[in-house]
Amino acid sequence: MSPSNIQADFTQLIEQNKGIIYKVARSYGKNEDDRADLFQEIVIQLWRAFERYDDRYKLSTWMYRIALNVAISFYRKERRRTEVTSPLNEGMTEIADDPVDGEVEANINLLQQFINELKELDKALMILYLESKSYREIAEILGISETNVATKISRIKDQLKQKFSKLNLN
Amino acid sequence: MKGIWSAYDKKLERSLKLNLRIFEELQTVKAKSKLSSLLSIKVAGVITGILWNLFLGVLIYGNHFRNMYFTVSVSIIMAFGIIAIATYIKHVVLISQIDYSESITNAQHRLAELQLSTIRVTGFLWLQLPFYTTFFWSNEWVTKGDSGFWLIAFPITLLFTALAIWLYRNISPKNIDKKWVNKLMMIGMEYKYAQSASELLGEIEEFKRDEA
Repeated sequence: MSPSNIQADFTQLIEQNKGIIYKVARSYGKNEDDRADLFQEIVIQLWRAFERYDDRYKLSTWMYRIALNVAISFYRKERRRTEVTSPLNEGMTEIADDPVDGEVEANINLLQQFINELKELDKALMILYLESKSYREIAEILGISETNVATKISRIKDQLKQKFSKLNLN
Repeated sequence: MKGIWSAYDKKLERSLKLNLRIFEELQTVKAKSKLSSLLSIKVAGVITGILWNLFLGVLIYGNHFRNMYFTVSVSIIMAFGIIAIATYIKHVVLISQIDYSESITNAQHRLAELQLSTIRVTGFLWLQLPFYTTFFWSNEWVTKGDSGFWLIAFPITLLFTALAIWLYRNISPKNIDKKWVNKLMMIGMEYKYAQSASELLGEIEEFKRDEA
């Protein structure tokens, strides 16, 4: 495949999956700058790995593994804001104004907030569950058994439901 | 919850735009990854180690093997330096080869273990401490029973030997939260990275606990 074809394929891949990367970045980034950095870092690592993509794995499995591995890696935790990470100083994404129902917006923010409060690996598990991935694919991405996936999902779902119901009661 | 997430998806589909100019730049310009900040610490370690060893080599050469204690002590210190350089080179190679498309628990475990090995190597490197108290010994001191040697220099070496063994045994991942480990790691960022790696490793172990 020629380099321009590879670039076009990659652009298409990111265009189709930008929402996934955005949600991972929003779940793991500490603030807006960190989220923008993380989005960019995930795209850099996907780009670097793109030519080595092993088609024995589903493309989504490959993508989630890279995005979540980048987001969880310890070296991201200790970073200085002054660090210039790339020659690309602008954000890679833009969010246009999208007036949605106030309650829907509030629920999205609440769910995102609850996810952000989870531990690193639980967070990954919950994102994959909400993305409607099968237990088998979640197990493959995380490297644990399907039974373990099922046990953990039910535990985390209960925790989140409790948080939602506490808020509704208040 | 899945309903909320799906509404989130729809919202992003409508409003999230990729900044194509930046995106294309990323594919053509060699963008610097966050991983490079970890790599640069290791590369700086290799360069410092090589310079330090060159300096020690010059000292040994300049001494022309006139003083056996000096030659042996500095050679041993140099050997520790070579081990440190080799470890850091190994880290650079392993970091460059990190495969993010591996499963999360495997890749993160491997990455965190690699960083924690820095702590073990630091502990090991403290074993060279006594040799900094022996390079100025001389045959005359040792064989003629100089009182200054037996009352001051030799006990200091014994003390440093005991201290080095204690540090070797105690600078380990299990003591990572102790403040003095931080002080003795010397490279602050290496310590902070190791601390984050240790936390993550604990989380991975807990996460996999239900496996059995």
